[in-house]
Amino acid sequence: MADEFMKGFGILMGSGLLWFTIASWFNTPGFEDTQLIAPNPDDVGLYADVLIAVKDIAFWFAILGALTFWVLIPAAREGRRAYEDRQKNAE
Amino acid sequence: MSEENQPRTDGGEEAQTDGGKRSDATRSSSDLRSDGGEEEPQTDGSGGGVPAVPPDDETPTWRERKERTQGLSRLTYEYFERSRREDQDLRQESTYVERDVLAFPTWPHETIRNLSLTFFFVGMMLFVSAALPPHMPSPADPSSTPEVILPDWYLYWSFGLLHLDPINPDLAILGGEKLMSDRVYGVMANIVVVSFIAIVPFLNKGSARRPVEEPFWAALGVGGIVFAITLAALPLQDLIGFIPTELLFNLAFFLPVITFFIAYAMLKTMREGYMYSLNRRYYRLRPPR
Repeated sequence: MADEFMKGFGILMGSGLLWFTIASWFNTPGFEDTQLIAPNPDDVGLYADVLIAVKDIAFWFAILGALTFWVLIPAAREGRRAYEDRQKNAE
Repeated sequence: MSEENQPRTDGGEEAQTDGGKRSDATRSSSDLRSDGGEEEPQTDGSGGGVPAVPPDDETPTWRERKERTQGLSRLTYEYFERSRREDQDLRQESTYVERDVLAFPTWPHETIRNLSLTFFFVGMMLFVSAALPPHMPSPADPSSTPEVILPDWYLYWSFGLLHLDPINPDLAILGGEKLMSDRVYGVMANIVVVSFIAIVPFLNKGSARRPVEEPFWAALGVGGIVFAITLAALPLQDLIGFIPTELLFNLAFFLPVITFFIAYAMLKTMREGYMYSLNRRYYRLRPPR
């Protein structure tokens, strides 16, 4: 169980750092302006567009990956265990 | 009893404690011994049945066993063996997970661990400073005063103590004059509070592991933290203007007292239940019958 926590946490932190870095490059107009969540810039070139796409992927991977390891997989295991217990008790 | 069995009871053990190998005669005699009825298991591990001391690295030598068979040494040994056995039983009953490893060696375990942690954080600092260069603000303007002047947040309580002018008493005998100016009054309040904090370690050494073990001092700590928070609200009275000044001062000085009593009552109530399990875990006392 602790291992699943560490996997989810690693995904959240690593992917979050990637999102944080790219968002600070392209979505932060200034220090005393909007930070990290400003709208995407236009006409910044192909490489920047790729990085912005990577940023979105990293953002959702951080959230969905952590949710997968912290909620979905433990819930599936609990559900399977409950199902097996019910089968065992029915016999 | 056969004649072969005879030497064992007299000098058999001495023959073994010489450090020499057990002769075939002795071994056969001990094999024969099993015919002669069961012996009572002894506390030193000899005798039939399951030994009291499971054989491992600490199993006593034959010389040690012989020294434990008579007189005061035997009495002492049985006493310690009994207490050891009771302690072992208590440990096995307990839910406390005992660690066999008390510490790790400095090299390589601690060193590698510390180096990896150091490299991780140094690398993170280098990465962040390289990828996200820090913002360079415009230089401060010495000719204009900012609207809100506040110290760093952890000094709010001290700054709040400098804002006690509404409770600086003016004395009738001085014709309504104040004994000291508001600024001196604030500094004196700081001295009083810091002196009390400095005295606390001499009043209580802090040997408690949990707040429940010392309800009074834990409640005092809770009250002190609340006092620091309410004091921090005093210099912000211009920013949080919806609270009248008098009510703000009443809250600042009576809320800590109220929380002290609440915390004391709670901890005192919880203490009985906590102390038992704490004692059982840490000191492995015998649970009450």
